[in-house]
Amino acid sequence: MEQLQHHNFSILAALLAAGMPLLSFCWSALRGKQQKSGYTAIMAIAISMICSIYLFSRYWNKEELNEQVTWFRIGDHSFMAGILLNNLSVLMLVLISSIALLVHIYSTAYMKGDPGIHRYWMYLSLFCAAMLGLVMADNLLLMYMCWELVGFASYLLIGFWFTKESAVQANKKAFIINRIGDLGFLTGIALIYAQFGTLDIKPLFSNEPLWSVSEVVSGNWLGAGHQIPAVWLTVAGLAFFVGAIAKSAQFPLHTWLPDAMEGPTSVSSLIHAATMVAAGVFLLARVFPLFNETVLTIMAIIGSFTALMAATIALTQHDLKKILAFSTISQLGFMISAVGIGIPGIAMFHLVTHAIFKCLLFLAAGVVIHEMQHANQKSQPGSDPQDIRQMGGLKRYMPITTTVAIVGAMALSGLPLTSGYLSKDALLISAFEWADLRFGPTIIIPISLLISSVLTSFYIARLIIKVFFGKQRIYPGNPEKLDIREAFPAMLIPMIILGLAALFPFFSANPLVFEHSWLLEGFDRPETLERMNLYHTMVPAAVNLLGISVIYIAWRWYAENTYPLKTSGFLYRFSYFQWYIDRLQTDYLVRPVMLFSAACASFDRKVLDGFINVVKNAGLWLARLAAWVDQYIVDGLVNGIAGLAFWLGNVLRRSQNGRVQYYMLSMFIIVLMVWLFNFIVHA
Amino acid sequence: MVLSAALFSIGLYGVLSRRNAVLILAGIELMINAAILNLVAFGKFDKVHDAGQVFALFAIVLAAAAVAVALAIILQVYKYYKTINPEDIRQLKD
Repeated sequence: MEQLQHHNFSILAALLAAGMPLLSFCWSALRGKQQKSGYTAIMAIAISMICSIYLFSRYWNKEELNEQVTWFRIGDHSFMAGILLNNLSVLMLVLISSIALLVHIYSTAYMKGDPGIHRYWMYLSLFCAAMLGLVMADNLLLMYMCWELVGFASYLLIGFWFTKESAVQANKKAFIINRIGDLGFLTGIALIYAQFGTLDIKPLFSNEPLWSVSEVVSGNWLGAGHQIPAVWLTVAGLAFFVGAIAKSAQFPLHTWLPDAMEGPTSVSSLIHAATMVAAGVFLLARVFPLFNETVLTIMAIIGSFTALMAATIALTQHDLKKILAFSTISQLGFMISAVGIGIPGIAMFHLVTHAIFKCLLFLAAGVVIHEMQHANQKSQPGSDPQDIRQMGGLKRYMPITTTVAIVGAMALSGLPLTSGYLSKDALLISAFEWADLRFGPTIIIPISLLISSVLTSFYIARLIIKVFFGKQRIYPGNPEKLDIREAFPAMLIPMIILGLAALFPFFSANPLVFEHSWLLEGFDRPETLERMNLYHTMVPAAVNLLGISVIYIAWRWYAENTYPLKTSGFLYRFSYFQWYIDRLQTDYLVRPVMLFSAACASFDRKVLDGFINVVKNAGLWLARLAAWVDQYIVDGLVNGIAGLAFWLGNVLRRSQNGRVQYYMLSMFIIVLMVWLFNFIVHA
Repeated sequence: MVLSAALFSIGLYGVLSRRNAVLILAGIELMINAAILNLVAFGKFDKVHDAGQVFALFAIVLAAAAVAVALAIILQVYKYYKTINPEDIRQLKD
């Protein structure tokens, strides 16, 4: 009985966690412009966080909870909707709700005075509700619904400043690219349903009967009672992977994420760094048993390639937020390749640590942009407040922001004592071990990950040094006039909390050995973890040595102004223009589609509309003719008869003049005429 | 016959063109007399019964009565309209 009560209470808590932001969204939508303060949204997400923490304490590493109700029926098939609380979902619940709460608090100061702030809170609540629903959903269809909703909320928030043309373009781009991924996800769902007749995650993906019957036997994929060629297994895996590629901004669908930086920075930190983009990785971890060797290999290749590519692009960007966006893409590449290597647990670990430190970096960037905007308005109106070439020496104005940003950067580059060190080393070590167990060329993947991680150290050091250290670049002459201050407490407190969470004690008691992290305990650990100890010392050492040396180089180059490279070299431009991928996509995919659409439009306008116009004109002429006939012939006849009668009447009236003699004369004439007539007839 | 035709025509002209009701009445009398003259003239074909002369006598009596009535009407009209010019009496007009 007590057990049952606990059970019900947990369900209530889970529903509250996702339902409160939803309620807040509805309330804001109803209240419209009056909803400026955002306290409703903060309250809702705080309740969500409390519920999430309660659920986390109850279900982490314990028996999982799966509760369903029938959603709808089609014929004999009933679709269930429900919540599934296991390690994966409660971890994500806590992560999302707490980061969302911090970002909400940050936003009260960051978005203050924005004319559209009522929309901001509304969208943010919608996003939180959808995201929390996404991680709790126990059914792929429900998950897909939430998946679409987070995409939609992201679309709304990217285009939050919808009067800016670039923001409108960016949100359209994000939406369209995400549609490709959604299509993949939907294809995957359809294949799963065709094969197993159910979409519930628990029976499908947790080593229970449904999954165990679906072995690949002699080229055929056995389903529930029937079999299809094994290639469909690969196709299904790839379909889910495409969904993850688009949502998690992997090559070649990554181009929307840098553009998505048009949204408010607080939104970028929550959606485009910490939570929504991680949904792709989360999806892969959820359906992990589905993937076969081929799909996993493709995943590892694309992940590591994306990691490397995005890291090289981030080296040369000038826009503060773009650097962070490419860094996010690169780190997501790490996670995807971790899933591909077969260690979704470590991918989730990196997801959590990355969510924290990347959110922190974005919030710090938000402070910098906020203050630069103020300073620029006074000194150089019109210049870009996100350009790191304009910054420098900000350390003396905002010491606390600088400190937390450095903590975030250290975590990102994987220096010891931070959470990033733990997760990234776990990832790299596992990658090397994985490559060791396989044939030769696979070593490329861990090596490219290693290179990416070194590049990461470099670009983040470049960012920190250019922004906070070195010489002041605006108003170099008199620093007194520069109106840059430390951030407001509402912005500082979330950053400090995140900064503390980005340090090691939050994840592991031992700062140097990731295996002791409590987070990894929650997932299946690959057996290779304990075996080859050579890597366990070599990889962290290599990462740190290389990392520290590139940070030193960055310091020499940027802080002491001894930058040795020309900015016109091919490699520089290759990196600066983001490997030309965006341009290639524009030229070879978007433009043909646009041309085709233009052709269709002109066909529509010229041929179809022309035809319709001809028909219309013919009708018009016919109508005119009918009108003319009606007016002149039919009406003419009627009017003519009437006119004739009128005229005759008029003529005859003249005879009625009342003169007796006239009447007599006419009588006489008539008699005469009758007589004459008779005379003529008879003669 | 010719005399009677001439008399009829003169009477007709008188009726149609006079502006005095009394003279119109005279015209009517002329026409009646022309008709009576015609009756007398046609009486030549009926010597046995002399129907023409008899009818002529009747007609003369009737004409006298008619004249008496007509004169009475003209007197009344004159009393009513203060004129006996038929041009001025247009109550028959629609």
